[in-house]
Amino acid sequence: MPAASLRFTGLRRRFGRLAVLEGVSGAVAEGEALLVTGPNGSGKSTLLRCLAGLLAPDAGTVELTEDGRLLDAAGRRRSVGYVAPDLAFYEELTASENLAFFGRLRGAPPARGQELLARLGLPAERQAGALSSGMRQRLRWVWALLHRPRLLLLDEPFQNLDAGGEAAARALLAEHLAAGGLAVVANPSPLELGRAAPHLALG
Amino acid sequence: MKSRFAPAFKLLLWAWMCLVLAGAFFYAPLAAGFLGESSRILFFHVPMAWTAFVAFLAAAVWSGLYLARREPRHDRAAAAAVELGFVFCLLATVTGAMWARTMWGAFWNWDPRQVSIVLVLIFYGAYLALRGAVEDREKRARLGAVYALLGLVVAPFFFWVVPRITFSLHPDSIVNTRGTIDMESRMLQVLLASWVGFNALFFWLHGLRCRLGALADRRLEA
Amino acid sequence: MPPPTSRSADWLAQAAAVFAKEWRCELRTRYALNTLALFAVTTLVVVSAGLGPLGTSAAEGTPVLPVLLWLILLFAAAAGLPRGFVQEEETHTATALRLAATPSALFCGKLLYGASLMLALEALVAPLFLALVQLEVAAPGLFAATLLAGGYGLAAASTLIAAMIAQARGRSALFAVLAFPITLPLLLLVVELTRNAVAGEPAGGALTQLLLYDATVTVASMMLFPVVWNP
Repeated sequence: MPAASLRFTGLRRRFGRLAVLEGVSGAVAEGEALLVTGPNGSGKSTLLRCLAGLLAPDAGTVELTEDGRLLDAAGRRRSVGYVAPDLAFYEELTASENLAFFGRLRGAPPARGQELLARLGLPAERQAGALSSGMRQRLRWVWALLHRPRLLLLDEPFQNLDAGGEAAARALLAEHLAAGGLAVVANPSPLELGRAAPHLALG
Repeated sequence: MKSRFAPAFKLLLWAWMCLVLAGAFFYAPLAAGFLGESSRILFFHVPMAWTAFVAFLAAAVWSGLYLARREPRHDRAAAAAVELGFVFCLLATVTGAMWARTMWGAFWNWDPRQVSIVLVLIFYGAYLALRGAVEDREKRARLGAVYALLGLVVAPFFFWVVPRITFSLHPDSIVNTRGTIDMESRMLQVLLASWVGFNALFFWLHGLRCRLGALADRRLEA
Repeated sequence: MPPPTSRSADWLAQAAAVFAKEWRCELRTRYALNTLALFAVTTLVVVSAGLGPLGTSAAEGTPVLPVLLWLILLFAAAAGLPRGFVQEEETHTATALRLAATPSALFCGKLLYGASLMLALEALVAPLFLALVQLEVAAPGLFAATLLAGGYGLAAASTLIAAMIAQARGRSALFAVLAFPITLPLLLLVVELTRNAVAGEPAGGALTQLLLYDATVTVASMMLFPVVWNP
């Protein structure tokens, strides 16, 4: 199986006068999870957004290589699995309708969404607007894994999850890494990821 | 334009414009069919209107360059062109209205050129409003560039549509349908000299504005 | 590692999915439909009440009425169409869309949704307008064609501008300011065409120009949208 790898160098981003990222670099190899920690405002979310292609850095490069091909920003956006606190879904649609919609956009078979919903214990026919915050977080995990991404970008991934939810999510993450996937996990404080993980401390 | 020619250029431009002013009032004859001395405004109104349209084109070109290369200096150039274009456009509209009042008794006459210049003015205003409403520098540049190009795409339709809803009171085109230039030679000389002068003025001011923008950006990044 | 599923469906399927999603959400809340209908009907009533008591004669009123009709449609569009993108940004669903959808397919889906909203609005407003102001249209075919082409053109221009202002501050005011210079050629053309339709005169070159405008704005918007949508 051809390799996938992520490398980012010298990323800079400022918002007005505020310099949030000042020359951040790192690399992630197959089967690896990079842990990014730092206090609030240290740029963890900004870093993940740059990696996902949601934000253009002022300087620096992001190189995500999959199957031997280097992906541009548009390719990265389509390819990554992204979990973040500000990710939201359509309130008027049920969880399974939301997934059906995004599945149609992604070309993912409907069965995939149903399978993930079951694994994370989500009520499929409840409107997304009626989900508790813990349930929404589970839905974010389902959404991120819908298209079997090679790179997972997880921003505070276990936020709001109860013990059962967190266990299910960790299992999915472990499976993803065991199958050769990559992950970048951002959290204010260090997380135990069940394996030795390279650590990048911001701020 | 920080070359050693800059001071000389500024002096030359100043002298040139003084000559144009003098020529407009003392050298060129009055045009036939115009009321009193009012034809003198021609030497200022026409070049300014021209420059306002040139600024529009320049802004669109620099916007296209920005989208292709994403270099901040192209965005600065586009924004500067619109800012200056706005000023020139405003002046052209006002001088046109003043002249219209003298000649036809009313400031506004639904003349196609009057309508066109006001439309460009409104477009500039909209562009500047858009830039003012976006805080993030990269987003501001991107959205501004898109709007400028959208304006360029839509502009040709005005050439077709505007004549349908207006009737022309404007003096005969200087270059008329036969393709010849139908103006007394001394008037033409002053007009051309003024045209050159205003173009130079626009690009000089534009260069200054771009340098100012670059300095402001650099200070922000320091 | 299982072979990766394709990361995006084909373009047409995506555009259809977006269109279907828009209508599904809209039919559950009916927010845009209600806003558009309420706005349009209120303005209509005001217009006809304003004209009625004055006893505007047919000769005086007729040149003005087409303008009023299109003003009503224009302002209703400005009230109801931008929501397509503004709401995505406000509810933060835009992030998911940015990652999952191909921009041009997304734009196409949104555009068709906006166009269908405009057509629904016109189907409501136009007959009501004609009835309330007692205007007779001599060339209904031309009138219908104008409504179709004009409504589509408004939607095409509005969709891109909505995407732009969704990322800025001062949204509703800014939308009108940005949309006016861009839609002005369309407005001038549809008013002329409507006048011709009422009087029974031929369209002349105006209909061709309107269709050309529609085509140009559609192509330009499709090309410029990815720049607006993604950094």
